[in-house]
Amino acid sequence: MNDFLELRGISKSFVGVQALNDVDFSIRAGEIHCLVGENGSGKSTLIKIISGVLHPDSGEIWVEARRADHLEAMASLGRGIHVIYQDLSLFPNLTVAENIAISELQARGRSLIEWRLVRRIARAAMDRIKVDIPLHQLAGELPIGLQQLVAICRALTSELKLLILDEPTSSLPKRDIDNLLGVVRDLQSAGIAILFVSHKLNEIFEVAERITVLRDGRNVGTLPRADLTNDKLISLMTGRTITETRFSISGERGRTLLEVRGLSRKGNFRDVSFELHAGEILGITGLIGSGRTELALALFGISPADSGDIFVEGRRTRISSVQDAVKAGIAYVPENRLVQGLIMKQPVGDNIIAAILKRLLDRLGLVDPARRRQTAARWIGKLDIRVSDPAVMVQTLSGGNQQRVVIAKWLAADPKILILDGPTVGIDVMAKGAIHDIIRDLASRGMGVLLISDEIPEAVNNSSRLLLMRSGRIRSELSTENVQPPEVQKLVEAGK
Amino acid sequence: MNETYLAVLILLICVIISVANPSFLTAENIFGFLKSSSMLGIMAVGTLFVLILGGTPDVSFTAIAQVVEYAVTVMTLAWGGNIVLAIIVAGLLGAVMGLVNGIVIHYFRVPTIIVTIATFNIYFGMMYVITGGKLINNVHPMLKQFSAVMLFPATSRIGSLYGLTLHPLIWLGALVLGWFILRRTFLGRSICAMGGNETAAERVGIRTMLTRVFVFCFVGFLSGIAAVVHVSIVQSVVPNIIVGKELAVIAAVVIGGASVFGGRGTLTGTFLGVLLFAVMNNGLTLMNISSYWNDVTIGVVITLAVTISAYQQLRQTRRRVNVKVEG
Amino acid sequence: MKGMRRASTERSLLIILVGIVILMTILNPKRFPTVRNLISMSYQLPIIAFLSIGMMITMLSGGINLAIVATANFTGIVTVLFLKAMAGAGAADAGVGVALAAMAGGLVAALLVGALMGYLIAWIEVPAILATLGVLTLLGGVNVVITRGYTLSGFPAFLLGIGNGTLWGIPMPFLILIVVCLILAVILNRTVFGVSLYLLGSNPVAARFSNINVRSVLMREYILSAFFSALTAFIMMGQLNSVKANYAESFLLVSVLACFLGGVDPFGGAGKLSGMVLAVVILQLISTGVNLLRMDPFFIQAMWGFIIIVLVAVNHVSARWREARRMRAVRSAQERAADKG
Repeated sequence: MNDFLELRGISKSFVGVQALNDVDFSIRAGEIHCLVGENGSGKSTLIKIISGVLHPDSGEIWVEARRADHLEAMASLGRGIHVIYQDLSLFPNLTVAENIAISELQARGRSLIEWRLVRRIARAAMDRIKVDIPLHQLAGELPIGLQQLVAICRALTSELKLLILDEPTSSLPKRDIDNLLGVVRDLQSAGIAILFVSHKLNEIFEVAERITVLRDGRNVGTLPRADLTNDKLISLMTGRTITETRFSISGERGRTLLEVRGLSRKGNFRDVSFELHAGEILGITGLIGSGRTELALALFGISPADSGDIFVEGRRTRISSVQDAVKAGIAYVPENRLVQGLIMKQPVGDNIIAAILKRLLDRLGLVDPARRRQTAARWIGKLDIRVSDPAVMVQTLSGGNQQRVVIAKWLAADPKILILDGPTVGIDVMAKGAIHDIIRDLASRGMGVLLISDEIPEAVNNSSRLLLMRSGRIRSELSTENVQPPEVQKLVEAGK
Repeated sequence: MNETYLAVLILLICVIISVANPSFLTAENIFGFLKSSSMLGIMAVGTLFVLILGGTPDVSFTAIAQVVEYAVTVMTLAWGGNIVLAIIVAGLLGAVMGLVNGIVIHYFRVPTIIVTIATFNIYFGMMYVITGGKLINNVHPMLKQFSAVMLFPATSRIGSLYGLTLHPLIWLGALVLGWFILRRTFLGRSICAMGGNETAAERVGIRTMLTRVFVFCFVGFLSGIAAVVHVSIVQSVVPNIIVGKELAVIAAVVIGGASVFGGRGTLTGTFLGVLLFAVMNNGLTLMNISSYWNDVTIGVVITLAVTISAYQQLRQTRRRVNVKVEG
Repeated sequence: MKGMRRASTERSLLIILVGIVILMTILNPKRFPTVRNLISMSYQLPIIAFLSIGMMITMLSGGINLAIVATANFTGIVTVLFLKAMAGAGAADAGVGVALAAMAGGLVAALLVGALMGYLIAWIEVPAILATLGVLTLLGGVNVVITRGYTLSGFPAFLLGIGNGTLWGIPMPFLILIVVCLILAVILNRTVFGVSLYLLGSNPVAARFSNINVRSVLMREYILSAFFSALTAFIMMGQLNSVKANYAESFLLVSVLACFLGGVDPFGGAGKLSGMVLAVVILQLISTGVNLLRMDPFFIQAMWGFIIIVLVAVNHVSARWREARRMRAVRSAQERAADKG
């Protein structure tokens, strides 16, 4: 029993909230372990305690069989524990070599820089995981997959025994995910333990040996991979069983709301044609980088198409700005909820009415505060947004609730066509299902829905037809009636 | 702005000026405008460091220079000494004044511009109170002697002596020192790191307070040296001659490529930025354009430069190729 | 919690204001708390107020307007040009019509400058600090070229009335300030433009994705800011009966200071007009109170610096104190909830 790290009976509370409650946790040397849990389950608190940023209220911490109840942040680094947060802590204005070498240089404490040494440190780290990134390139110019590898290389410059990766694969294209997992296996064979904190269930299953599930601050199970199925995992995380249902169009397919012919935009997509009818959900899927989001941005007026035609309800429509799109009845729930979808430091109510300000005017042409409040309240009610007061900042809401705010904003604009891009990314399993229900409900009321998704099961289960995109072109169109997600997965990977 | 573009722009302007007035390209003229831009050039190095560190710019450095100029002049008149000592004292005095900035900014977490507005007022105001705003017309001979040292001496057509004085060399020294710190010391890399991502810098273990305090001390130190350079050139102390040039220095550094958002900037760019202003001012004089047009010309150049720079940036982001479109 | 945050800024400003009034009254018991002094302050206040408000408007979107004073001087100079063109040497006797026409000319000039800045910032996406720096230098030069460094004076009675006159016993500039502030409050809080501006300032990307015409809002924002420069110019002209290329240059930094004090977030998205007004009043009180002490003006300048540092320190300490109080309030609310449950 060679546990590198063991936590016994860890509890931690903040301001009245019990973040962790008597949690036991252990990870062996050279083990790949996964920590999963919904938002608010205590995952990030646990990580912060392991890395020394927070101190537990009670419980014991054992590192390499030695007691260490108060891990100071720097001391935990000294013990070989290194966390890579989601933001990667890189310096975009410094080179790859400097980014990798900087913590080592800081530790060595020498005042002068020898560039040869910097490059040597960087190269040594890269060699350990067999990657080769141009040393002189600025970190800010790298694609995110490579940025992540740079962050891992930095961790490797000091004695590394436990590497904690916080949500490492949220926005990576498949090829980079494979790269990362390969690197993780290399690290494992060097005796380094890896702790993944992840939402994406697929990758866990591929690579983890043991999985620990947290729910409401408690450890509800640490199981070897073989003992866990997807369903069991979800039921542990949420405390309930969930069955996925399939969407199907209720009744006849409605009129054509949107027709796209030969739409192209240089460097983004080419010759895209399809139709969207009232009452249906048209799914678009494909690997990251296939042009799906770019297509949506063209339909929404952010980066308009160069050529081709768009017909909304039969009329040819030119969309060269967001205003054009909204006027034509098109709405877009963006991929990047935090930056594109919501104005974090503003109230929930203001976020909801943001797109329809011009419709809330009174006789004097001023925004009517009563109508403002009523509109916000109406949508908070209709979409069941859990918030005590519309004046709170939207950043205080959970991911699922935040997404409802974004959807509310666009429903308030009364669109005919709703485009959703990755609508349940980073949202808890339970909340995911609720959002799917909302989307299906909208379709059944006659809206035309375009659902862009990375997650094949989501795309298959929630659409009536599915378009597969690759390299900016639509490769095929399937009916989802008799098809299963794994088949579609294979098609997507094969590049069809 | 890209350094190559900037260099080309400067070249272009030089060509225009020398066509209009061939005496632009003479050694006498060149030595002349290099000498007169030395003070601003030295202060620009400090401003570069503040901009790289990130946040709003420092506007107190001219006040620091003014105070040091007064102090050093009075001290040398009273106690003598030599020029080297004067420069050292000036640098130290300036550094101490900059230290105040650094500590207040870091401790109270206030935007740099606000604190430096305050220290500007304090330093300048107290200087006036203590000195009564007196002009000093006779400075210690050592300052005159310093100014008289010339490399490559020659005689002009009308019989006056000219040559390369030591002031541009001090400017060069400041540039080299700045380059060395920025590129060759961990401290300099820490400054760049903080400018790029201050939270990450803390996480990596960089001592952000010390680094920040150093930057402001360095600004003060350079301002002090610039003050000695200035007083040895004009050989008098006029209490409000240096202040007012803050925005010009900041503009020069920004045009030289330093980003207003922090993390980026080079000594070469800073040098070119100051050179651009120097050349433009000199050109306007040589072309007999009334000095009233100075600011207009410079304003037009600044506006064009930042517009072109932003436009290029815009085109780059607009047409970023995200997808390798097939067929 | 946004409401709570705003109220706290105003509350601490109010406390500071009361404190300053008390302090100044103690230091100047004969001259400070007089009606005469109050009236004198209400003549001076609008100038710095309009400049600060003009600055605040641009900070709401995370920008800045370094050219705000230069634009004011430019407005004044253009107005004089129009006056001379229309009335020649008899400008000082010109009637209301001529005065208004000249002012209209100056106003248009200011708005054009605002449009230029707006265009550079909104369409070419030049960072605001750089665009306004360029315009500042350019206008400064233009101002000098036109005036050749001279001070121009001799204005019609109507214009002087704006700066020095009274209506119902209240100084004209102060009345104008009140009216303009009321209108601005409506603009910022109740118009599509105003609401969009705050949203945009908080997150320009999301604003764009939310059907807000970012370019149009930014453009109007800088034109509005320039309008305030023009207002400042008219009042200055009225009070000083002259224009110069570089009046009030130091006010640029004071307006930045006022915005900071007034709780405007330089990154955009937050800042209430009420906070600004309180901040400006505080600065005016300090300025007048300190001036009344009849001390060496440069000593006063140095004291200003100290006062700013003190204000900064107070700000910092009170922010930390507010944070601690909020944590305590949340904790006790949770404990109460836990007791019930």
